[in-house]
Formats: sequence, structure tokens, C-alpha cells
Amino acid sequence: MVPWRLALKTMATAFADQLRSLSDDALGALIQLRPDLVVPVPSDISALAVRAQSRGSVARCLDMLDEFTLAVLDAARLSRSEETAATSLAQILALTSGAAEDDDVRVAVGRLRARFLLHGPEDAMHVVGAVDEVTSPYPAGLGRPADYLDPQAAALCADRARLRRTVLAAPAGARAVLDRLAAGPPVGALSSGGTVAEPVRWLIDNHILVPVSEAGRAPRADGELVELPREVGLLLRRESGPLGGLRPFPPVPEGPVRDAKSVDSAGAGQVMEAVRSAEALLEALAAEPAAVLKAGGLGVRDHKRLARTAGLDEAAAALLLEVVHAAGLMGEADVAGTGRGVTTSRATGTADEIFLPTGSYDLWRALSTARRWEALANAWLAMSRQPGLIGQRDDRDRPITVLAPDAERAGAPQARREVLTALADLPPGTAPKPDDVVALLAWQAPRRARGREAAHRDALAGAATLGLTGLGALTSYGRLLHAGDEHDDHDPLGAGPGGERAPGTSDAVRALDGLLPAPVDHVLVQADLSVVVPGPPEPELAAELEVVAELESAGGASVHRVTAASVRRALDVGYAATDLHSLFRRRSRTPVPQALTYLIDDAARKHGGLRAGSAGSYLRSDDEALVAEVLADKRLATLALRRLAPTVLVSPLQLPRLLGALRDAGFAPVAEDSAGAAVLSRPKVRRAASRTPVSVRMAEPAGPPLLAGPRLAGVVEQIRRGDIATRAARRAGSERAANGQSVPGLTSVQAHSQAMAVLQQAVRDKARVWVGYVDTHGATLSRLVRPVSLSAGYLRAEDERTETLHTFALHRVTAAVLED
Amino acid sequence: MSTGGPLIVQSDKTLLLEVDHPDAQACRMAIAPFAELERSPEHVHTYRLTPLGLWNARAAGHDAEGVVDSLIKFSRYPVPHALLVDVAETMDRYGRLQLANDPTHGLVLRGLDRIVLVEVAKSKKLAGMLGARIDDETIVVHPSERGRLKQALLKLGWPAEDLAGYVDGEAHEISLAEDGWTLRSYQQEAVDGFWAGGSGVVVLPCGAGKTLVGAAAMATAKATTLILVTNTVAGRQWKRELVARTSLTEEEIGEYSGERKEIRAVTIATYQVLTSRKGGAFTHLDLFGARDWGLVIYDEVHLLPAPIFRFTADLQARRRLGLTATLVREDGREGDVFSLIGPKRYDAPWKDIEAQGWIAPAECVEVRVTLTDAERMAYAVTDSEERYRVAATARTKLPVVRALVNKHAGEQTLVIGGYIDQLHELGEYLDAPIVQGSTTNKERERLFDEFRAGNLRTLVISKVGNFSIDLPEAAVAIQVSGTFGSRQEEAQRLGRVLRPKADGRQAHFYTVVSRDTIDTEYAAHRQRFLAEQGYAYTIVDADDVLGPPLPQVD
Repeated sequence: MVPWRLALKTMATAFADQLRSLSDDALGALIQLRPDLVVPVPSDISALAVRAQSRGSVARCLDMLDEFTLAVLDAARLSRSEETAATSLAQILALTSGAAEDDDVRVAVGRLRARFLLHGPEDAMHVVGAVDEVTSPYPAGLGRPADYLDPQAAALCADRARLRRTVLAAPAGARAVLDRLAAGPPVGALSSGGTVAEPVRWLIDNHILVPVSEAGRAPRADGELVELPREVGLLLRRESGPLGGLRPFPPVPEGPVRDAKSVDSAGAGQVMEAVRSAEALLEALAAEPAAVLKAGGLGVRDHKRLARTAGLDEAAAALLLEVVHAAGLMGEADVAGTGRGVTTSRATGTADEIFLPTGSYDLWRALSTARRWEALANAWLAMSRQPGLIGQRDDRDRPITVLAPDAERAGAPQARREVLTALADLPPGTAPKPDDVVALLAWQAPRRARGREAAHRDALAGAATLGLTGLGALTSYGRLLHAGDEHDDHDPLGAGPGGERAPGTSDAVRALDGLLPAPVDHVLVQADLSVVVPGPPEPELAAELEVVAELESAGGASVHRVTAASVRRALDVGYAATDLHSLFRRRSRTPVPQALTYLIDDAARKHGGLRAGSAGSYLRSDDEALVAEVLADKRLATLALRRLAPTVLVSPLQLPRLLGALRDAGFAPVAEDSAGAAVLSRPKVRRAASRTPVSVRMAEPAGPPLLAGPRLAGVVEQIRRGDIATRAARRAGSERAANGQSVPGLTSVQAHSQAMAVLQQAVRDKARVWVGYVDTHGATLSRLVRPVSLSAGYLRAEDERTETLHTFALHRVTAAVLED
Repeated sequence: MSTGGPLIVQSDKTLLLEVDHPDAQACRMAIAPFAELERSPEHVHTYRLTPLGLWNARAAGHDAEGVVDSLIKFSRYPVPHALLVDVAETMDRYGRLQLANDPTHGLVLRGLDRIVLVEVAKSKKLAGMLGARIDDETIVVHPSERGRLKQALLKLGWPAEDLAGYVDGEAHEISLAEDGWTLRSYQQEAVDGFWAGGSGVVVLPCGAGKTLVGAAAMATAKATTLILVTNTVAGRQWKRELVARTSLTEEEIGEYSGERKEIRAVTIATYQVLTSRKGGAFTHLDLFGARDWGLVIYDEVHLLPAPIFRFTADLQARRRLGLTATLVREDGREGDVFSLIGPKRYDAPWKDIEAQGWIAPAECVEVRVTLTDAERMAYAVTDSEERYRVAATARTKLPVVRALVNKHAGEQTLVIGGYIDQLHELGEYLDAPIVQGSTTNKERERLFDEFRAGNLRTLVISKVGNFSIDLPEAAVAIQVSGTFGSRQEEAQRLGRVLRPKADGRQAHFYTVVSRDTIDTEYAAHRQRFLAEQGYAYTIVDADDVLGPPLPQVD
């Protein structure tokens, strides 16, 4: 065992004492740096000290530190003396000299001490024990000392000259292995595919590498890993310094600096595009809903279809679908509840649930483009989903679909925030390369960024698609949105769509509004029957065009085409030809072409040329006079006959009633079938459905089976015992009830039928009853009442003390007991 | 807040140009190199950004930065970032591969980006086109596959820059005989555009002098030339024009048709004879190799038959010029025209040429006749395949046609139809001669000559009159039936009357359609191309034509 571990016990109390001796301000500063220390608030300083040294808290604290500070912490770990387990600033500086400025190292040590990861006086600092437990066993990527690993290796390392000679004598392959291990981590697999590579064999034979069983564990000759002893690692690192290369300052992402105006302009263009695409996706979804897969999510086929309809690539469609879902604009609905034919069952059989736009979608649509975008962007910032995973394969090699549970990543909002903060910290207009941003984030918090690289890249891609960035740089309104988001961290879920978030208009929306084109209220109509809206249409204009024309091209402007079908659609929804003429005259800045006028008139002339309806039955005759007579007959007024043609009448009633009434009135009608042939029928004698004669039926048992003997005795005893118990309880209960306490017998749930029986009897006897029931808050109460009636699922009863009439829902009644 | 530019960039990569904007002209000049004009109605012209157009712009020396700049500069609204990225990425794909002549290996495909070369070399679509791999960056290409390889690479999205150049062909002195006339400015621009690009298609309206563009191209090439035309009559018109406008003499020009098989320094061949087969084999393909042609001209390239596409793939080393008025192919093979003959090198909106006075202004009128009850009943019960014929050939149209002819008495009038029976009816009714498929070339020439001379006022022609008949004085065309909804047929027929008239008169183009039938629907579809070119159709009722004479429009 490393001897200084023994000293740790005494350290713990020392640590608490140090905390205790801090001023209030210093203690407050510590709590600000490590807020998790006071959740929940510890009872005393000792408890605080224990928590500050706990693994979880230390790990959390380390997660927030940058690469350089962690390297300095590694230096502190490396420089601990074996006896006292203490290190000093001087020792740390000795390790970092050459690789970093002393002042930078001092600042880093200060950071560590402020967080109490290092504690004690500057010349005898201790590393909090948990650090060793939650970080790699190889500080700074160096192996353990040779005399801990292997005596022969220790002997080699003790002789510096021999060690150097041996290392220099290593063959080229072995040297490459050494260089890789020296760069860290210092552990490698001994063999690949069962055979030990020749260079590794050479290194083991020369005791430069030591076999170990598992990283951080004791050495074993038959181990499957090899470890590079610390001394050898230090020797190999003599050029770069014992800690390897140090970067005291974050790597500054490089990239062209773009004009702020063009960044905003490109971003605003993308904003319009994103909002329009989101709407197009939801419209496509409304037109043909997509089934919710059994495993959750939206199927690949529907995803592709929606992307195609909205004119997006699949990645962008996936992102926007996730965002609109997170924004609450799209949701799952029961197939039955929608009352519409669902054609999505092709792939999945019958779908139980489908995705549809929600009611919020209609509200969202009425907002301005900037507000709509804000809702989407906020949802994106807050959603714990990583859309970049969609289309990849999960552990079981199945594709991850849109809205599938597999794309859930709790860290995604944090990753997005980190990326935006990194972008916001750059000079405005800088368009960094994604790799640089990822590298910067890795430097800022290496422990946190590990495994988040994909999330960071995904965040950058998402920001570009949603127009938070333009030409690769953060836009002015994107910056404002991010700043606002940082502000109201108190709404970490951000569940509500933007409309509900803030009653006022946010800065981002105002900034964006200035960049987006103003809506237009006019169109240009051309001879080829195309209608151009030279900008984003006003909602009213958009609604009109949606009816009277087909959309051909969308974007900054929109191009529609008037066709015979679109005019017919307009006529169907109630426009008259004159309405359409005046609509185009009013909206068009250019003369309405004659072809359009003709098209509308032609369509209107033909519209309604055929009339369709439904009727229960018809009556026809070649004899017009006979038809007129039937129509005029007052006795047949109940048939509600209507004349379609001189020879045809229809009635909403079914054929048999029509025939009956006509015959009663003295006419001689004949029924026709669908092909027009006469149907002759004689009146049918009415009969009820056949029944099985009583004699054949199974004789029903006369009553419940008779009990006898011990079983009967058992039942009786059970009843008696129950009775005694109930009485005892009731006696106690009525005493308590008189004191305003509840009756215990009522709190336990009686068989419902039994309670009903009691109540019914009480209604009959006009007796008073203790009724136990569950109120609307779920609390169990009881009340002494006199039941009045019991019907339609409700018990009506009067309370004689208060002289009020109560109504109890029967399903809430848990028990009823007659008052003694 | 808009920047107020004339251009609106749409998400589907169309560009809307507001014509009446003060900057419209400058914007047009800026975007013309990389965007293709798709529609040009009266107020808003539509251009489209296509990969092909962007690559052609790259080939012509424009870079992505410039394209993005002009889009941003002229755009009224913010341009989506994704679209700009897409433009840059698309343009970046061009030229990663090069077709070049290697001194030792001949034609090779060279990859400036090795990964791309590896990617395309693996593609199944290129199987058999590539030969041995010389090194990491070079693969031998069989010279015969040059065209197909370029086409296939284009489909893979990695267009090759063709640096292998063109053969000069057999030199032959040709020059324009500009006595009393000069090449119009747009014709010169078209020739320059073509020559600079090496190969390609020139789109000019009917009557705007495409033949002269061909002649000028020959004069620039100064080499033996093969001209492919639609039919013999058109071939003879070419010959006449070439003799009149160039230094070529009658003896230097050969006709290669069903009647004659002459191969001379300049040879005019018909599509028909080239695609005729004997025993399943094309018998006249040797023509392509008969001489070392320096230039191949395809007249009416929108009609180019499929087999000729295949032969053309083998002609990639020769300069190719396609001429057409309407690059609308009803078979949707516009893309093949571009990749095999060459990209569009010049295109001018019809209305622009009209404004310059090079084609006659035309008034397009759709006359709607109401069918008689008997005709309506007959139409109502007709099978769907026969409906268009029944509606289009309604007898009710005859008096309307006569009224129109009488209204323009004294002007040269063409009556055009698609159904022979109807044409015969019309011929009898109007007492006018008929030109149809079965009319001999000799008889056709005689009738056309009389018409040109003015001895014959009215001529009834069938589909044969759709193309390449030069009847400069025809001022009125009356269309009674056609090939269903063919847009290019409509445009070609209008083209018959667009030759500028000696006295600058307006041309009239009438379409007589039966109201409330499929005839009206097809008419609307046919008119689309012209409407997109800015021709606004007026619709009048047949009763107005038959009634008291209307006041003259012009």
C-alpha cells in the first residue's frame, strides 16, 4: 500500500477544521464555486466537510475545470511526497516549469485551493482523497513508479544510464510503442489476437514494460495489459516536460470574420426558411398523418415522405420535426378521436396513435415570423433530444427514427448552451470551423466534453439550420436569444411554446423583426395565370391564396398558379365568381389578365351544373299528371315529397313507408330494384326471433349450493368474528365521531355492493347512516346523514345537524354503516 | 426591412426577377451566366439555379464567391444560408475531374481530388468506359466513350472539365457575304457565346434568324460542316439561305436526303434519312465519318430523334451547334440535349427580340366557339381517346375560320390543323389548296413559292407546316386543331407568322377552340409556353367574330 493513504484519516478532521476556520465570505465563495455542497443544506461544518470530500461532489467540481487546471491538479498528485502525502507550490512549479508560465500555474493552483480540491498551507498542500478515486489512476498519463510495479523494472530505472541505453537500443517498432505509451495513457493491450507483437515482447523482456492485469490494478506476470513505469515515461517526455504539452490558454478558434450585416442577412434568410419548412412539414402531416410506431417515434417512410413534401433533406426534416414536437406544435392523437380515415397503416398494420399538428399550431401560425422562430429556437435550446442521431443505428443495429426514445439525450440542452456560449464569446462575425469549436469546448471542460463531441457538432448543425448562425457565425438576434436563455435558467425545461414564455416581445424577436421583410398585401397576376406574392404574404392574403390558387414555389416570395381545379375549390367553399373577380382586382398591382377572368367565369358557369343529394326513396312515373296529383295530395304531405323533374319525386323516407302511405291514399305503386326491375312482394307475416324452448334449456340451479359440516361452521365463525370486530370499531368510532373524528370502520373500503345495500335499506327505513366517501381531493371523509334517494348514480341525503342536502356520487362512496 | 433589390430567391432555387424594377437589367446581366431563364411573362421572370447551370458558369470562369455575391447584392430579402452553402458546394464539385489528352496514353481522366477519382472509378455506371489505371490520379478513357463518360459523370454529380479540345476538321473557306445586311447584335452574341464555349445550344425565337447564326458559326469555323435538319424542304431552305448569305456556292453544298445522297464540303442531311433502317441496322451512319467534319449543326434540336442522340455521343471531339426556338421537349429529354450537344449558350426572351424589332409583334387570340347541341351530345358520348378529335374537328369551327380569313382579306393567311379530314373540309370550304404529308416535295415548293409571291392568299397546311417553312409574308395563322397539348407545336406555329413584315405590320395568331370541351383544356396547356414568354392571349367569343366587323386593333 502507498503509505500516505494511512495519513488520510487524520486529514479528514484537519479538512473540517480548515473549513471551520474560514471567514463567512470565504465559505460563501466556496459554496458559490461548488453549489452542490448545500443541496440539501448540511447540518454542520463536519457534514459540509464530508460532502466536500465525497466522490460525487468532487467529480462534479472537476467536471467544471478546464484542461490546464486539471493538468496542474495532476502535477499536484504526481508531486506528493510518499511520507506525508503533501505537496507544495514549489514542487508543482518544478514539474510545470518549461511547459507553462509560473504565474499561470499559480492562478490554477489558486483555483484548485479555492475549491478545496487542494487544501492546507502552500508549502504542505493535500489533494482531496476523492480526486484519486474519480480520476484516472495515471495522473498526467504517466504510469506508476517502477518499484511499485516490478523489482526488475525498478532496478533498471534506478540505473539512469542503463535505462537510457536500453531505451535507445529499442528497435524502431518498440520505440513507436514506447512513444505512444509515453504520450499517455501508459497502458496498452499486450496482445492482439493471441500473439504478442515482437516489439512488445522485446520491451517486456527488457523490463521496460511491465505486464499488469487491469488498468490501475496490481502487476501480474500473466496480465493482458502492459504498463509503462513512471520513470520511463518521464525519460521519454524529457523534451516536452514531465506533464506533456500544457495549454494554459484556450485554443482560439480560427475562421474568417464575416461582415455582421451579411451574417444577419444569411441567418434571417435561414430563419424564414426554417419557419416556412416547419409549417410545410406540419401541413404535410395534417394532410396525411403519420403513425406513431409501437416503439415510439415516427417511421422512416413517413419521415422520408414528409421531407419530400416539404422539400427538405432528411436531416433537416428530422431536426425540424423534433423541434416542432418539442415546441408542442405537433402531438400524438388517438386514431379514433380524430374521426378521419388514416392511410398510415400500410407499414404498421393498424395504427393506434398518429402524429398531428396540435391546437397550439394554429396559434403559432398566427404569430409573426420572428415570434414563430423564437418558439422554435427556444424549443430547440431546451429539448433533451439529439436529432443528429436520427438515421444512425442503435446498439441492436436498428435505425433510430424521428422522435424515437433512442435519440433522447439529457445532456443535449447543456451541449447546445456550451456551443452557443463558445460562439458568443468570439468576436462578432467570427465563423469558426466546427472542429475548432469542439476543440475549444474540450479544453474548457475536458471531463464534461468527453463523449459530447457529437452533441456539440449536432448543436452547431442545428444552429445553422434554424438560422441562429449565419455563414457560420452567431447572428445578432441569436446572441440575444442565447443571452435571454442564460437569463431565465429558472425554466430549465422551457416546456411552454414561446407565446406563453414571456408576455412581452423579447430582444431577439425585436432584432429579428428588423431583419425580416415586412409582409405584403398585394400580388402580381400574370398572363400565364401565375400569381406572384413579392414577399411574405399577410395572413389574410395567405388564407385567400390558399383557397384560390396552387402553391408552386415558396421562399422569400411565393408563386401560385390559378387552375380550373383551384377556382372550383374556391367556388366550393363559397366564393362567387364576382367575389373572385373582385379579390384579384383588389389584390393585384397589375391588370388582371383576360385569361384569368375567362377561367373564373367558365368555372363558375360549370360549377353546380350537376347537382347531387341523397334521398330515402324516389317515385317516378311516365305520367306527369299522376306525379302532379301525388304531389298535390294533402294526405301525403308527411312524405315530404320533392319534385326533381316533372316525372320524378323524391322523399327522405324509406321505400316501405313511401309504398305504405301511397297505398293508403289509394294509389297503386310498384317498387323497383336498383336496376329498375319491378319488385313484387307479398306482405310478410311478422315473427319474433326463434327461441329455445324452456324444456331444452339447462335447468338452472335453484339457488346457491348448500353448505354443511365444517365448512358451514367455518363460515359462521368468520361472520361472527367480523361482526365483533366491526362493533368494536364502530363503538370506538361513534365516540370519536361525536368528537368530530372520523369513523375508522369507514376508512377501510367496504364491498361496494354491501354499501349500496345498506344505503338502499336506509332510504327505505329513513334511518341515519355513516357514509364514508372520497372527496375530490382524494381525502377520505365520513358524514352522518339521512339518505333521501338513491338514483342515477347519486345518493341524495340530508344532514340533520346543518340542515343541508348533500349529493354524493356513488362511485366515491367507500362505505356505509347504519348508525347504532 | 428589404434591401429593395429586384431579385427574390426562393427555397426551391428559383429566382424571381421583377422586370419593372430599375435594377432589373443589371440584375439580369449578373445572373444570366449561372441561372437559366425558365419563364418570362410580363411582370416577373423566373430563373432557376440548376447544378448544370452552375457548372457551366464554373466552366465559363465564374466562381462561387461571385455567384453568391450577385445573389446577395440583388436580392430583396435575406437569402437562406443553406442555399448559399448549396451553391458553393455544387460549384465546388466541378473540375475535380478533368478529361485531358495525355501525350503517351491519349485521352485520360485525371483526378485533381484522388478520393473523387476513386469514388467514380468504383461506380457501376462507368463500367466499361474507363481503361487501365496509369497512376493514382490518372485513368485511361476509351476515346469513343468520351461523350457517354461525360454524361455519366454529370449524373454522378462530378462533372468533368473537358480539356481534350476539339478537332479542327477539314478546313474549308467559308465567309459571310454581308452585302447590304449585317449580322444582328444578338446573332453575333449567340455565335460568340457558342464559339467561346466550344459546343452548345442557341435558343432564339422563330423568325429571329437562326439560320444566320448557323451560317456565322460556319464562317467562324471555316471547316467542313454537317447540317442536320428535320425535312427536305427545310434542307433546301438552308441551302438557299447559305448560297445567298455566304461565300458558298450551290456546288459546295450537298443534299443527303431520301432523294439525293450528295456528300460535299457542306452537307445537309435530314433526321429521317439518318434514322432510316434496313434490316434493323442504320444504313446511313457512315455519313458521320464520311468526312472530317469540323462542325455539326443540329437544326430544331428539340426534335432530335433518340437514335441521333446515341450517334452524337460519339462525336464529342467535334464542335456541335444546336439551334431551336423552344427547348421544350415533350419527352422531357432536355437534359440529354444539354449534356450531349452542349449547354445552352444563348437564350433571349421572345419579347426582347420583338422589342428590338427583329420579329413581328403578334396578337394571340383564342376564339371560343359554342358547339351546337347535336355536337355537344356527340361529344358527350364519345370515348375519352376520341374526345379531342371530336371537339377539335367540330364543323361549327368552319364559319368562324372563314370569318377570320375574310376579316384579314388581303393578308397572307395560313390555316393550320392536325386532322387531314378537317383540312380537306376546310380546303373545300375556303377554296384553298392543302399541303399535307402526302404532298410531293415538288408540289409543296410550288405552293410555297406562289404563297411567297402573293398569288396565293390562303393556304391550308397540316403538321408538316409546323417547322422550318420559311414563309416570310404570312401574317395571319389560324389554328384549328393540333397535337393535343403540345406547347412547342404552339410556339412553332406562332413562329410561322413572326418574320418581320416589310411594312412592320402586326401578325395575328388565332386558335379556334370548342368551348367546354377538352379542346379548351389542351389549348390552355399549349399556350403555357408562349404565355411564359409574355404573350398574353385574348379570348373572344365566336359570335363576336361572326357578327359585325370588329374595330381594327392596331
